[in-house]
Amino acid sequence: MTLLAPTAVARAPEADEPRGAISAAPGPPALALLRVSKRWRSGLAPVLDDVSLTLERGTRTWIGGRNGVGKTTLLRVAAGLIEPERGWVGARGITPRENRARYQRLVSLLAAGDRGLYARLSVRAHLDLCVRLAMMPRARLRPGVERAIDTFQLSQLAERRVDRLSMGQRQRLRVAMTFLPEPHVVLLDEPLTSLDTEGAALLAEASREVQVRGGAVLWCSPDGDRLPEGFDARWLLERGRLEAA
Amino acid sequence: MSELRAAGRAYLAVARRDLLVFRSYRARFFSQAASTLFSLTLFYYVSRLVHVRGFSSPDAYYAFVVVGLSLLGVIYSCFAIPTLVRQELVAGTFERLILSPFGAVRGVIAMTLFPLLYAAVLAALSLALACAVFGLQLHWETVALSIPLMGLALLSFLPFGLLFAALTILIKQESVGTTWVVAVLSLIGGLYFPLSLLPHWLQVAGRLQPFTPATAVLRHVLVNSPLTEPLGLSLLKLSACAALLLPVSILTLAAAVRAGQRRATIIEY
Repeated sequence: MTLLAPTAVARAPEADEPRGAISAAPGPPALALLRVSKRWRSGLAPVLDDVSLTLERGTRTWIGGRNGVGKTTLLRVAAGLIEPERGWVGARGITPRENRARYQRLVSLLAAGDRGLYARLSVRAHLDLCVRLAMMPRARLRPGVERAIDTFQLSQLAERRVDRLSMGQRQRLRVAMTFLPEPHVVLLDEPLTSLDTEGAALLAEASREVQVRGGAVLWCSPDGDRLPEGFDARWLLERGRLEAA
Repeated sequence: MSELRAAGRAYLAVARRDLLVFRSYRARFFSQAASTLFSLTLFYYVSRLVHVRGFSSPDAYYAFVVVGLSLLGVIYSCFAIPTLVRQELVAGTFERLILSPFGAVRGVIAMTLFPLLYAAVLAALSLALACAVFGLQLHWETVALSIPLMGLALLSFLPFGLLFAALTILIKQESVGTTWVVAVLSLIGGLYFPLSLLPHWLQVAGRLQPFTPATAVLRHVLVNSPLTEPLGLSLLKLSACAALLLPVSILTLAAAVRAGQRRATIIEY
């Protein structure tokens, strides 16, 4: 584990800057958490206790640990969804507090579970909404949606409503929405839930592509049983702290 | 500039999402149209039955109340925003807004677009039905002015919905008094009957919020009802309400989201 100087600053991509190829130039790491602490209530033990973690560009990292140990909290803090009590979080030197919109352009989270979808909307409508909320440039909206449909093999399901999909098909859509904005950092919380072998292979390939183009992937799951090959680092979260797996 | 255009597309995308969800419930529009027709019929016969002080004829009261009923739907839509936010929290889709570059605050504002436009369309439908079925006489010379006036009215109503949405984000309950607020507003906003029939203190309360002047000016341009105060004063009240309360409500909403993120309650529902 390396620590990042919290003063490191990097330029975040502009709204219309192509992100197909992420700069591999040296600079701040893809994602860094520095001495992050979070407790749910005063008096309770911290769920994250002085955690530091650096994801270098072009790497994939796995964090395991028992249920309720704090993996999801770690990902939520890293995604900018909730704030830590103490510590520093930054993607390429940008913090969610300094520039929320730029941070959200860099980082994408796949939350655990099956929530976050509109039952009455089709697969295509979800992807269309997702690409616009990501505020991608106009020229990349339609190609982005078509590429996501193609990459995650959703063409047969594109016009089908979510409430008529199986759980695995919904998960595949959620995965597609996570990768669609071409984020620099992808945070995955138990991403294999409900996915069949084919879906898991597509997810593994998408995460490898992020790594190849200079981004970083943080994958959390209780154990590493179905974890794809090629991960650079493996950690266990235990009593609020990270230990080498 | 490209940032503004991208934000504009995101606003439209949220409105389109709501339109698609609305269209997926095929009976909803017809059910609401039937409900509107029922209310129009009810008040038509009420207007024939009772003599209301201050109105020269049953038709004059009917014109008065039809505009009030039309605006009531718009007010309901404003106060339904907390319900929409609560649905997003429960479905986990609110997280997506927070984690998008578009953001939760703009996301909530975007959520108001379709319901408010739809309420305005239903209001227009209500007037059209009243004309076609019950012989309501519109003041055609000034009817077109109702469009910008409705826009101004919506801008002055919107802060109330956004403030209640902020409260929903903080305490996770959607109907924290909104039903009561709508009921009180329908009483003191002059929707069903003139404010002059109310006790003095209620009349004062009625003049302190934007619903009364909005109803009065829309009645004036739609059915030529006499104004209860100078037109300029009513417009000033609406403009001031929008100019002052809209920024306050947006800042409050942003503060509520931020507080939820700091306390980690933003993920609760």
